Amino acid sequence: MKRRLNYTGRKKIKRGNVSINFIRQNGAVVAFEVNKLDLSELLLPPEARVYVESYYRTELKRFEFGTAGSISHPSSCNLRGMAYPENLKFRILVVDQPTGKILARADGISLEEPAEKKPILPVEFSGLENEIWRVEYEGDEGSPVLIINSRIPNVQNIAKQDAQFLIYVYPQVIREVLTHMVFVDGVDSTTEPTTDWHGDWLKFVRLLGVKFPERLNKNDENFSKEDALRWINDSVSAFYNMHSNKFQEYIKKLEETPL
Amino acid sequence: MNLRVMLPEGEQKFREYIHNLKTNPLCQRPDLNSEPFSKGFSPVISIDETKHFNSKMELAEYLQNCFAGAGLKREDVLPPNGLWTWLAYVWFDQLAPITNPATAERDIKEDAKYICSSDYRDYYRHLVSGSYSIYSLHSADNSNIFLYSPVNEHNDFIEQFASRQFIISHKNIVEAIHRLYFDSQRGQPKKGAQTRTKPGNIRRFVSVIQQFELTYDIYTMSAESILNLLPPEFNDWKT
Repeated sequence: MKRRLNYTGRKKIKRGNVSINFIRQNGAVVAFEVNKLDLSELLLPPEARVYVESYYRTELKRFEFGTAGSISHPSSCNLRGMAYPENLKFRILVVDQPTGKILARADGISLEEPAEKKPILPVEFSGLENEIWRVEYEGDEGSPVLIINSRIPNVQNIAKQDAQFLIYVYPQVIREVLTHMVFVDGVDSTTEPTTDWHGDWLKFVRLLGVKFPERLNKNDENFSKEDALRWINDSVSAFYNMHSNKFQEYIKKLEETPL
Repeated sequence: MNLRVMLPEGEQKFREYIHNLKTNPLCQRPDLNSEPFSKGFSPVISIDETKHFNSKMELAEYLQNCFAGAGLKREDVLPPNGLWTWLAYVWFDQLAPITNPATAERDIKEDAKYICSSDYRDYYRHLVSGSYSIYSLHSADNSNIFLYSPVNEHNDFIEQFASRQFIISHKNIVEAIHRLYFDSQRGQPKKGAQTRTKPGNIRRFVSVIQQFELTYDIYTMSAESILNLLPPEFNDWKT
């Protein structure tokens, strides 16, 4: 299980400080250009190296952009030779030269709305012996993946549609993920967390209309365990309320089933 | 026959055929080698639909030679999903072999193994494009650990490593994986590499690399440097 601890003090490059465009020829992507890359507020060592990487699936290409103190653009950011150029994402790294340690980072930068919207909880079906489900933190950046036991007959349809499964499993998955996020990983900010998937889940809870406690950072001396647990419970309750029709469907099914 | 690209109507028919086989193993495979089910690939490349492959490696090598012979590179052939779906259709008897001759029952897996998907969650599971994609990027030497198995098997090394963009796109990490877990003399992965309870197993490697990814500039490291960074639990695999 991966834990997202930021012992090295790695800084996050805000998306608003980066602007990248594709360059096209006859409609096809052939290169990219970086219009904005502002690292000034991060107070990085001026000699640290700056790299921009383009990637997608098996593809990866790195471009050198000088140093944090003197960003220089390559003469060409040629993307020829890369499959799927339309789908490329970008990663920016600032690297301490002698140690090779990453000082600042931005990842998953998309230039256009991705065709495939990434869910916050990917689901995989795999053998789990006698367990029904399990959350593993082995996705990108240690993000959660819901593993459901593939030995259960017709489980892919059950996991999508069955009211009983939905109300028994998913609320507890939410409880598990939020508990992991707060008490295992630690949420360093409720507005701009260092870990991208934390941000996605915080956004999800906000959409549920749940009031946030003042602090969710377990390392903050004013962190309240009780407040955090209440927030997690409130989030689970809000999710149940949002899907109350599934609860009704489940009750109805039970009432209609002869004993 | 000449290489073709499956079109949406052909993909739908192929999908229906795969689903029908589960309940009716004797159902006839539809002929999808004409429009509107598929179209010819340009340039014209000849494919031997009767060729038998003993491993994923043989399949990938064959395709690499076909494409290279036509002057095509991996970036020219990877994007059209329909090309890979059509190849799975052509070689379907090998990819979903009959397991019970008496009933003609086949070993049929999920759709993504045959119908090339755009979904990031399972694109790498395609039994043809997955093999070629790895081989064309990592060369024969470092592809062995993924491609040693029969063409119809999706092994755990593909599932654990190829599913992770950061790992499969870094040649140095893949070389380190190969050095750790592949027994070149046996032509097989080392025993126990996939055992969850064994120290330094492949899932532990994934976890450790995901931590390194955030801390070190892996891109500039050699495979040797990556191996040297690994904690002691991996020592037994280095021998």
